[in-house]
Amino acid sequence: MSNTKDDGWQRTSPLATIFYLGRIYQAIAKNAVQSLAPLVAFLFASEGNLMGRIALGATLFFLVTIVGAILRYLFFRYRITDDSVLIREGVLKKTQLDIKFDRVQAINTQQSIIFRAFGLVTIMLDTAGSKKQEGHIPAVKMALANTLKERIRQTTQVKSSLDGALHKGDGGEIHVDAPRQLLFLRAADMVRIGLSSNRALIFLVFLGPIIEQFDNRIEEEIGASIVEGIGDGSIVAALDTAQPGIDIGTGSVVMIVLGVLLILVATSIIGAFLRYHRFRLVTDNNVLRSTGGLLTRHEHSINLAKIQTVVASQNVMLRLFQHFRLRVNQASSDRTRSSKSFIIPVCEPDQLPVLCREFFGEEFLDAVLDPGAEQFLPIARHYFRSRVLLTGVLPAVLVTAIMANLAGFFALLFLLWIPLNACIIWRLYKCYGVLLARDGIALRRGFLGYRVTAFLHRKVQRISLTQTVPQRRKGLATLRFYLASGTVKIPYVEFEKACELRDHVLYRIESSQKAWH
Amino acid sequence: MFENPEISADELPRVSTVHWLGMDRQFLRFLLVQAALGVIFVSIGIGVLQQIFNIAFAEEDIHLKLGMLWFLIPVIAAPTFIWPLISVPRKGYAVRAKDIMYKSGVFWHTVTAIPFNRIQHVEKSSTPLERRFQLATLQLFTAGGSGGDLKIHGLSADNAEKLRFFILNKVGASVEQH
Repeated sequence: MSNTKDDGWQRTSPLATIFYLGRIYQAIAKNAVQSLAPLVAFLFASEGNLMGRIALGATLFFLVTIVGAILRYLFFRYRITDDSVLIREGVLKKTQLDIKFDRVQAINTQQSIIFRAFGLVTIMLDTAGSKKQEGHIPAVKMALANTLKERIRQTTQVKSSLDGALHKGDGGEIHVDAPRQLLFLRAADMVRIGLSSNRALIFLVFLGPIIEQFDNRIEEEIGASIVEGIGDGSIVAALDTAQPGIDIGTGSVVMIVLGVLLILVATSIIGAFLRYHRFRLVTDNNVLRSTGGLLTRHEHSINLAKIQTVVASQNVMLRLFQHFRLRVNQASSDRTRSSKSFIIPVCEPDQLPVLCREFFGEEFLDAVLDPGAEQFLPIARHYFRSRVLLTGVLPAVLVTAIMANLAGFFALLFLLWIPLNACIIWRLYKCYGVLLARDGIALRRGFLGYRVTAFLHRKVQRISLTQTVPQRRKGLATLRFYLASGTVKIPYVEFEKACELRDHVLYRIESSQKAWH
Repeated sequence: MFENPEISADELPRVSTVHWLGMDRQFLRFLLVQAALGVIFVSIGIGVLQQIFNIAFAEEDIHLKLGMLWFLIPVIAAPTFIWPLISVPRKGYAVRAKDIMYKSGVFWHTVTAIPFNRIQHVEKSSTPLERRFQLATLQLFTAGGSGGDLKIHGLSADNAEKLRFFILNKVGASVEQH
């Protein structure tokens, strides 16, 4: 399907137009007001009946976007050289990308239902430090994607073989291991993913206004009934008259809330099926690869050497299911931390050590991702005291003093914040746990759920040790490890221990001959 | 013959034993002059504002108590003049064979360490006032950070250039295997 020119520059399949059309609509959706303002202005400025204008506007809109997509397809060229992928694109603003194979952090593919019918995929190349997916080659044959993946893998292998990351035979030849399956998710897992999705909580926000609307309606109905009852001359009769209104109103609200909740849960589960159906995680010669998706098949990969931090999290629902969600982070700029992560949506507790071993290999054998592990040591108890004082006692006393004149005795109610805050801080304190090993660190945090972040010492970019005035008095310090994928803070560690740990990590970074990326 | 003897944890170099270098002497003067310029700028602003209001509302019976603004001057000036006297002696840097360290903070003491083999690039900059005092600022960038990860203000221009050259040499010399 791809056309080759004499100079090696190639065009993708004309079906790439669909990909660009999708991109254009995405961009319009993101900047809806700015993008659609000229069209709306045109609709209201031109003469004629409204329906006719809307039809004309819609036709114009689709024509412009289709022409835009065709132009983007026509101006797109790519070329694969010995060590890099070159991409030329842009209609008015020309861009040329040169992506070196050794800089590629991940090579991902996406196959929509239309592309699947033609055996095409979209290749997405991701490099360290870029704010978004750096390069994409839409609508190319699956075979090309596989060849490219293989070539990038081989480039990485040659480099990795230098530090013995791969097994070498007696003759010095590189042994290539066959891909191994690490995880396969079934239908029950999709339900777990759907039920534990954080997106459901976002939808719950919309419940507020709905309930408020019904609340107002009930008030109006009850109000009307009472007025009617009072009109009859009896308050009791008025309340009796209002009773059916209350029953109907409460019943409808409960039904609506339940209905909405059920729809949300169903949507979330359908979403999980769409994104993770037949999710399969394999390890393929230092590359972790996941495939999954019902309509659009997503294939994501990450080079094990490029992993910066691994985060195992467990929200309330996942705690109930006794499962975990894993996020493998690679180097990224501040704004793109979440978008450049490799996600394992759900896994069982006994799979954690296996996956941990895959992520860190022989280098961090003591790594633990299970928050319930006994190896985690607590932080200093002063964390509880200082937080209660700063976030509980001080603000509560201050607000009580300010409100005393206005609210009088009732101002004392603000003091209830102190025990409530103390409970929250106590829980946070109990969730904190640190695992210090020879080659890596794991930090456990949480409140209702847990989050364990693990990383290798040699991946750290810089370290800072901070002491506040009370910490100095108590001989404590807060350590911050800055990694290419974010910061890990260990609060309230004994000062001596913190200094020792910092010196040890610095030693590991400075004496390691392995690259951090 | 290649040797690689093991080092015990006790023998590891400790940060607490490093010799800290203070900021350049001119740095304190620079900060005080900067504070003085700030105060002069604010004073001129208040003066001009007062004149404009006097002229604009000369005909009308409007009395704006702009004179109160003059009380702001000592309120702003006192900390801007006193703070450098306290904070500058507490700042310091140390260059070791494999890393650079920087300490700062009056209430919050912070010591930051950056190994040379993690530095992506180094930037030296100086404002006109800094140049007047022959000072410069050095910024060290590592991966994943959004801005300069470590800013060392108050280095003499000579030292900053030497340091930049030294760090870049170290960065270039660090060879890692992928």
